[in-house]
Amino acid sequence: MAAATRRRFALIAVALALVAALIWLAVDPSRRESAPLFRHGALRIGVDASYPPFAFLADDQLHGLDVDLGRALADELDIPAQFVLLGFDGLYDGLQTDQVDVLISALRIDPGRQVHYSLPYFDAGLALVSAAGRDFTTMAALSGHALAFEFGSEAHSEANRWLRRIQPFETRPYELPAYALDAVRLGHADAALVDAVSARLYLRDQPDWGAQMSVVRPVPLAIATRIDRLDRALAVNEALAALIEDGTVAALIDRWL
Amino acid sequence: MQRWLTVERRRQAAHVIARIYGIYADLRRWWPWYLRGLIFMLALDMLVPAAPRAPLGPPQTVETIKPHVCVHTRLIEEVEEWKIQRSLELTRALGAETIVEFFPWAYIETAEDRYDWTQADRIVSHARNQGIRIIARMGLVPAWARPDPAEALTTLNTLPPASYADFAAFVAEFAARYAGVIDHLIIWNEPNLAFEWGYQSVDPAGYVDLLRAVYDQVKVANPDAIILAGALAPTLEPPGSPHGLNDLIYLERMYQAGAADYFDALAVHTYGFTEPAAAESHPDLLNFRRAEQLYAVMQRFDDGDTPVYITETGWNDHPRWTMAVSPSQRIGHTIAAFRWAEVNWPWLEQMCLWVLRFPLPTLSYPDSFTLITTDFQLKPIYHAVQAYARGFPQTETLWLPPPAAASP
Repeated sequence: MAAATRRRFALIAVALALVAALIWLAVDPSRRESAPLFRHGALRIGVDASYPPFAFLADDQLHGLDVDLGRALADELDIPAQFVLLGFDGLYDGLQTDQVDVLISALRIDPGRQVHYSLPYFDAGLALVSAAGRDFTTMAALSGHALAFEFGSEAHSEANRWLRRIQPFETRPYELPAYALDAVRLGHADAALVDAVSARLYLRDQPDWGAQMSVVRPVPLAIATRIDRLDRALAVNEALAALIEDGTVAALIDRWL
Repeated sequence: MQRWLTVERRRQAAHVIARIYGIYADLRRWWPWYLRGLIFMLALDMLVPAAPRAPLGPPQTVETIKPHVCVHTRLIEEVEEWKIQRSLELTRALGAETIVEFFPWAYIETAEDRYDWTQADRIVSHARNQGIRIIARMGLVPAWARPDPAEALTTLNTLPPASYADFAAFVAEFAARYAGVIDHLIIWNEPNLAFEWGYQSVDPAGYVDLLRAVYDQVKVANPDAIILAGALAPTLEPPGSPHGLNDLIYLERMYQAGAADYFDALAVHTYGFTEPAAAESHPDLLNFRRAEQLYAVMQRFDDGDTPVYITETGWNDHPRWTMAVSPSQRIGHTIAAFRWAEVNWPWLEQMCLWVLRFPLPTLSYPDSFTLITTDFQLKPIYHAVQAYARGFPQTETLWLPPPAAASP
């Protein structure tokens, strides 16, 4: 090999080494240390226990969909689950200050947050509920018909937006989401716009009513992990994917909703 | 080595010259098309609607018959100026003469002694233009005043005692800048909650040290400044809890640590949760009239003449939260609360609802505290408060009766 070529290779090697060193220095020290995935020997789960049926306290015990999901996730990761109660305002700060490893607390994916979100595990969006066989599965189908919703709720605001976008429809505000759904079941309205959780709970209590439900404004819920722990986020995501795949998540949703 | 570099350099120079010539040749050949493309792009750009501007109009005044009606705003995170203006126009239309607004230290003094007042000035000028008075809430610690992140994980609420003087200096700068315009300053938010105290153990005596550090400096900067202390979260957490400390106990400990000399008014947070406005208060209960329990503590420490400002209150109408009520109950309770305060609480100066609107939704139940949606839809609660504050009749039926044979 000619001396000039050798020198060129040497220069390239030095440049590559420099780039590698810069990348290594740029990476956060906690990630360089190859910290264990869950260094406290448990999956520490931050949860706001004021939000049934996702998480709530009864007889000093934690219950709910998120609680069961947390336990299933810990089982899948083969470590014990440890729940840490936090208020909603303190959830993300609790994650940032390493008081918990993950947040499972009916969290909507929020692009403004500096965290990793998992795959969604439930859609808690607004749903149109109507009698089976009626064509009320989209906003456009409502023109000229009657829509029931809870007065002053998110569905009320959404209905107001729809009134500006499609041909007029009759609005029927009620005091409670259950009344709005009653109105459809009893023939006072063609469809009800309510949150998916209220809809599922109502339909569970009315098994004889042949109704259909269609989510028209999705609100995916997901698990959050710290932004500087990509390894943890990937492990959680993989475990959650396995739970979705084997039907565990669907069974938990059916149990609570 | 010298020769190789020379040859290489020559090659590079020739390559650059060839590229330049290529661009020149392209331009000569295709310039009419480049020109047409440029004109097309400019035409497209003109079709894009310009961002709404927010020029100050003639000075306005708030029309109200209930001057104690106040609302907490969140304008500091608002990117577009017209949204600040619109929010304040709607505050004026609501009949609220006063707002509480957050002015985070971390947003303004981003580096030590380097201040960016742009957003604060914008809020202040629009509020003045609408005839609205501001109570300023001070908090959030810039990175330069927090512990080294290599030593400890911190949050924006982590204020080490070593930085109390820096915080006091900032509040004094703020007080001097807006003297005569903003004279009411709330020192910190809910220091009786661990997460609001940077996930350190809550420390009433430490908070009094903070008040002491701030008080004299601010009075020098603006002798008319009113220092509001407390703004404690309503909670029943017992001593030793990792989450926080009962607000009544915390206030007692503040007085025991000598707080009375370092504040001019007490800021109170009191929420109705699931109870109506007139529900009896009790030290072991959290409801709207918990404000009376806090006032009783003030009286016990011979401080009953110090005014009280409720800087956060209200009800939440989220369908899932355990501490929420229905939207119709929320309206009834809120108006009843204003009436209760008007009749029964002579020591109260202002009663500020949490919260007018969020610039971005929280995507959870806190959104159900707002009076206006993020996209500026007025919720029925807004109209109800407006009718109360401005004396409008509200005879219209707002919701339908339950359908026949309805579920309970």
